Amino acid sequence: MWFAKSLQASHEHGITSSLGGDAAVATCILQAMSSAPVTGVGASPEPWCVLAVEDDPRALAFFEASVRSSPALRWLAGLGTVADARGWMATTQDLPHVLLVDLGLPDGSGVDVIRAMAARFPACEALVVSVFGDEESVLASIEAGAVGYLHKDSAPEDIAQTILELKRGASPISPMIARRVLAKYRSLRTAAALQVPDPAEVPLLSTREQEVLGLIARGFSYAEIARLQGLSVHTVQTHIKNLYAKLAVHSKNEAVFEATRLGLLP
Amino acid sequence: MSARLARWAAGLVLCLLWPAAAVSAATADKAAPGVKVLRAAQVQAEVRGRREVWRTVNLPYHWDRVHRNRPGTALIEARFDLPQRAEEPYTLYFPLIGNAAEVWLNDRLLVRYGELDAANQDDFGKIARQVAVPPSLLGAHNVLRVQLRADGGRRGGLSEMYIGPAAQVHAHAVARAGAVRYSGSLFLGAFSLVVGFIALMCWASQRVVGPDGRLHRETLYLAAGLAELCWSVRVFDAMIEHPPVDWPLWGVLMTGAYAGWVCGVLLFCHRVAGWAHGRSMRFMNGAALTILATGLLCSALSFLWYRPVVLTAWLGTVSLCAVLYVLVFGIATLRRPNTARVLLAAAGVLNVAVGVRDWVTIRLSQDLGAVTWNRYVSVVFGLALLYIVLQRFHEASGQARDLLTTLQSRVAAREHELASTYSRLESAAREQARTHERERILRDMHDGVGAHLSAAIRQLQSDRSNPDEVLRTLRDSMDQLKLSIDAMQLPAGDVQGMLAGLRYRLEPRLAGAGIALAWAVDELPAWPRLDAAGMRHLQFLLFEAISNVLQHAHARTLRLEAAHSDEGLRIAVVDDGVGFDETRIPKAMQVRAGALGADLQLASGVGCTTVAVLLPMH
Repeated sequence: MWFAKSLQASHEHGITSSLGGDAAVATCILQAMSSAPVTGVGASPEPWCVLAVEDDPRALAFFEASVRSSPALRWLAGLGTVADARGWMATTQDLPHVLLVDLGLPDGSGVDVIRAMAARFPACEALVVSVFGDEESVLASIEAGAVGYLHKDSAPEDIAQTILELKRGASPISPMIARRVLAKYRSLRTAAALQVPDPAEVPLLSTREQEVLGLIARGFSYAEIARLQGLSVHTVQTHIKNLYAKLAVHSKNEAVFEATRLGLLP
Repeated sequence: MSARLARWAAGLVLCLLWPAAAVSAATADKAAPGVKVLRAAQVQAEVRGRREVWRTVNLPYHWDRVHRNRPGTALIEARFDLPQRAEEPYTLYFPLIGNAAEVWLNDRLLVRYGELDAANQDDFGKIARQVAVPPSLLGAHNVLRVQLRADGGRRGGLSEMYIGPAAQVHAHAVARAGAVRYSGSLFLGAFSLVVGFIALMCWASQRVVGPDGRLHRETLYLAAGLAELCWSVRVFDAMIEHPPVDWPLWGVLMTGAYAGWVCGVLLFCHRVAGWAHGRSMRFMNGAALTILATGLLCSALSFLWYRPVVLTAWLGTVSLCAVLYVLVFGIATLRRPNTARVLLAAAGVLNVAVGVRDWVTIRLSQDLGAVTWNRYVSVVFGLALLYIVLQRFHEASGQARDLLTTLQSRVAAREHELASTYSRLESAAREQARTHERERILRDMHDGVGAHLSAAIRQLQSDRSNPDEVLRTLRDSMDQLKLSIDAMQLPAGDVQGMLAGLRYRLEPRLAGAGIALAWAVDELPAWPRLDAAGMRHLQFLLFEAISNVLQHAHARTLRLEAAHSDEGLRIAVVDDGVGFDETRIPKAMQVRAGALGADLQLASGVGCTTVAVLLPMH
């Protein structure tokens, strides 16, 4: 949502985003990223199938209304518990492309749903529903494998917009999270230099990725970063998307590192 | 305790048995029929260069008594017949021969004890001597000749002589008594040496707290150590054939060793009795010094003047003093007995009794063959002394252990106290931090979400409620809530992060209102003066300024500027809206600027309104 808004703001600032304008590039990336409905250049894309897991019926109804209002999206189901989600995944004939999931579910965590989904439908991308978009919950979602998040107070059109942006290759990241990730990355790298014998086990951020992250942390928008770095907005977004993948790997590596340190692994 | 006493009693009996055996030996020679005892001899003495005529004497030939303590030499000749030819090795045994001597049998030199010409040097006359005699030297009629050198007052002379088959002589009671005397002296000297060293080690290593509160060494151990060392020298003297210094100086030193033993024992007893801090202690110190000094003096005079009576008188006086002291000590022990006192009193009575007997036997009757009993009985003193020293040492170590335990428990208690104080302080600090945080959240809720919600309620309740206004109020509330949550995560002083977060949260609102945002924020250093509360004030102040632009300014562009210089940190919100009356600064902003200690600068005109906050460097 914020990302869509910032894009709008970028447009209004006169900074042109390459995202909307370069459908071919976006499509290639989408094909590479997921098993999305096959689209050709100029062909009308098939709608993305959306599954929502949220225990608040009003929020669920709101998401359903938002998704149904967009012709580019198709509403698959709205479920209230982890068990329901697992049951649905076991029996469904439909291929979900996007998962909207609340973290606090009555019978478990949304993280479990994200993992189950990643196992059953690896191409499905998860968006975590957050009230505040605060650091703790967002970082936890990222590390669980989510590639973005939604605010509950978003306008209906923003919900659909955020999902579409995500499928076009954009992942949102706030400056606070960027700061946090940078700090965490630095400490991780120090620990790696000291204790992990094989540096390849800790995926390194490229210089460009670090620069992009640093600028986001300082409050610059994607458009401003693109201008400052001489890149396209889309490239900036790709860096961010890569960052998400690396963060998820980081979290796994940290888990292995911790487990080894505690003697749980040989 | 009873087992320990039994062991002591056994030791005592053993010590008493040795001299008893020696005494009984003199008369019990009937068991060795082949041993001849030579009790008479022809003697030609030479004193001060004057040769006397041959005369017949009975052995023992007591030189000091016969020649009134003058030094000299003598030729002694004894004859004996053997009824049959000797087939086996014979032994010639002298209970006493000296101070130096040569023994000839049938004109053949048998043995030489020391240098005859070196007067006042060697002394072989302190223990019994024996020499093996080859049977071939013996005939039916034999002449035994002894050339003797005697130093004045050195208990020289010749005792009766025993000759017979080696086995019979060795089995003879006199030879056995001599052997016991020899090994007894060796053992007792070694025992005294060990006890003395133990006591001196205790003295060197132990420090006790005195009545003046200072650490000092325990003199009791020193007295015991010196006494026992003196006694071991005295006892070992019997083994020393070549003294390091000449007679009579050596004799004076030996008297000094004896006096040292007496003094050490007296001082030790006085301290054990618990009289160390009384006036009597000073008297005893003086008395001990006097005994030592007079002992040396009397001994020297006795040898120089050839008057043994001087030394005898001194010994008698010392014995008398000892008797008196034992009496005093015994009475005190009877009044207030304890183990140490009883042991010392018993040892004292025994030693004094034996000491008087020795004095009478050796000094008064001048019995040449007599043996001092004191050397054996003194072991009782040694044992008592060892027991007391070890017990004191044990007590002192126990006290040190107790002290250490007390100290450890005190340290542990103090540590525990500190830990609990620290934990109390820590929990108080935690509680205070919680209270502050609670207060801050309540204030934020009151000023932010609470105020907005009540405004929204009022708007809905009023007749002229406008859905857009209500929505704006609620969005403001939501934004403030998100900003509050962001602020909780921000490190204190991270102004850059706070501004970035502000943009992230508010840019959608600005975009929705058709206001373009220009971002003119330099890279800012951390601002350590801003704590968590300061960060919140600054965040709310800027939020209020932006919110005003959103609601009232009808602006098209909003520029957020931030830069730092030597003066401080300047953050400004600039818009191109309609402006407002700059004299009417919103009160909430004023209050927050005041709380920050910041300078709030407003400049407003149509097309350009600036709200700037200047945070001074100091």
